[in-house]
Amino acid sequence: MATTKVPEVRDITRIERIGAHSHIRGLGLDDALEPRQVSQGMVGQLASRRAAGVILEMIKDGHIAGRAVLIAGQPGTGKTAIAMGFFFREETEIIEGEVVEIQIDRPATGTGAKVGKLTLKTTEMETVYDLGNKMIDSLSKEKVQAGDVITIDKATGKISKLGRSFTRARDYDAMGAQTQFVQCPEGELQKRKEVVHTVSLHEIDVINSRTQGFLALFSGDTGEIKSEVREQINAKVCEWREEGKAEIIPGVGPTNTIRGTNYQSPHGIPIDLLDRLLIIATSPYTEKETRQILKIRCEEEDVELSEEAHTVLTRIGMETSLRYAIQLISTAGLVCRKRKGTEVQVEDIKRVYSLFLDEARSSQYMKEYQDSFLFNETQSGQMDTS
Amino acid sequence: MAVQSWIDVLKSSKKTALIHDGKRKIHYLFIDGKEMAEEYDLKTDELIVRKWRHKSTLGAQGQWQVEVGDPLVVPVPSLDSDVIKENCSNPVFTRKDTKTSFQWRIRNLPYPKDVFSVSVEPSERCIIIKTSNKKYYKKFSVVDLDRSQLALDSSALSFTHTNNTLIVSYKKPKEILILEEELLKELKKLKGTGEGDVDCKTQ
Repeated sequence: MATTKVPEVRDITRIERIGAHSHIRGLGLDDALEPRQVSQGMVGQLASRRAAGVILEMIKDGHIAGRAVLIAGQPGTGKTAIAMGFFFREETEIIEGEVVEIQIDRPATGTGAKVGKLTLKTTEMETVYDLGNKMIDSLSKEKVQAGDVITIDKATGKISKLGRSFTRARDYDAMGAQTQFVQCPEGELQKRKEVVHTVSLHEIDVINSRTQGFLALFSGDTGEIKSEVREQINAKVCEWREEGKAEIIPGVGPTNTIRGTNYQSPHGIPIDLLDRLLIIATSPYTEKETRQILKIRCEEEDVELSEEAHTVLTRIGMETSLRYAIQLISTAGLVCRKRKGTEVQVEDIKRVYSLFLDEARSSQYMKEYQDSFLFNETQSGQMDTS
Repeated sequence: MAVQSWIDVLKSSKKTALIHDGKRKIHYLFIDGKEMAEEYDLKTDELIVRKWRHKSTLGAQGQWQVEVGDPLVVPVPSLDSDVIKENCSNPVFTRKDTKTSFQWRIRNLPYPKDVFSVSVEPSERCIIIKTSNKKYYKKFSVVDLDRSQLALDSSALSFTHTNNTLIVSYKKPKEILILEEELLKELKKLKGTGEGDVDCKTQ
């Protein structure tokens, strides 16, 4: 007799990748816009953070329209970190619960508004909701049925299915192999969740260009944002927000320096554009600041570092690059866990240092062996003729 | 200590008073841009409404959030509105204070009294209402105590159930009573515009 296999329970919370700047919580300024030495994940760069704070105030007061900001500095001096400080955090209300019942009444005539009711529950309570037309449509589009665990963004009505309730695991339902089982949520149905959101002009442009397309040439649109376009943007932004991948710095897009043109100008930006930008400069970190940043990163990545290892890592960070040192934190943490240690020692750092190359060593390596790689004929050809 | 700091915040705010409709209406504008509006009964000096409004990060005007009193009457959305909302048969949670205690009323709870259990969770600084039939659950904090950083005391908590309504009361500690008395004195000193139309300066 075949025994029914109970699928494993997966936690509702997603495991997230630890991004390089995930420790940044803000610009680390006080109310008077004075930067604090170490605050909200930011270390040092006092002048640039203050400058960024001033710009942020301008944005809040609505004086930033039509302006751009350039953050310039050597590699690994915290340009992206400062840009991250522009992210906005806001709270939104979500409903998270297990579907008990969906009831949809269609008018007998076949036309007219549908009326629906949705009953949701957690382990502690249940609530009945009235559904609007759009909600009914998206519920049927998502194929939501009793026993599903769903979340609804209350402001936008966006539904996402988290999985099937674990209590329904033994139902004799036909279900796909990809069906996930989750626990019924606990506590209150409505929760407040913090979301980070931002929109860049580029994304607005993308949406804009798609709706108008080439027809805009004939219709004589002047490129002003029409109300329906604005609505679409809003809808799109809401969508990004819910998916938790919102990434916007209002008007400030992290644009990388353009290389490979024949024109030479500072920052690779035409000089007349450069003149119209607000420029924030970042300067290299001192040893003390590097040490501090590495410490914050260790906390963020849950890696314990011994005092000596910290010193070694700081030196690596100063001599090679801060990014490389940060990379070594997580790898060293893994090596340490493999040998069942609790604290990363100098040996672990040494081991990963030998395993992974930093930029200088890898380019050195490339130089040594460049003749053995493909596409080196030009050089060898030159040697032949000479 | 902390009680004092909240009084100072209140005192430093820009206050505008208005007497209208048998109510003393006060508007506070705080230094950080937050706004608070309160309404007191002229006869009994009871707090009828307290609501808050914040500006969003981008400076847009937010909605009023009611802390005490009946929820704002939103313009009735048409039946075929797109959004989701609670059915009118669901429990409605409001706060309605008396002179001596904070009070919360949850209407539409047609269950016997022994279903409910109300408890204080000092570690999370909140009060939890539970139902043994798993119909209602609510976790809320006493914002007045949070603002003055006073601890929650389970002996001050009590609840009754009549007319499908659960009434949870929490006796105000004496620090709060002193604070409110002081504030009321301060408010009465404010010169409010009287009843009737405010005269408009015309040219």
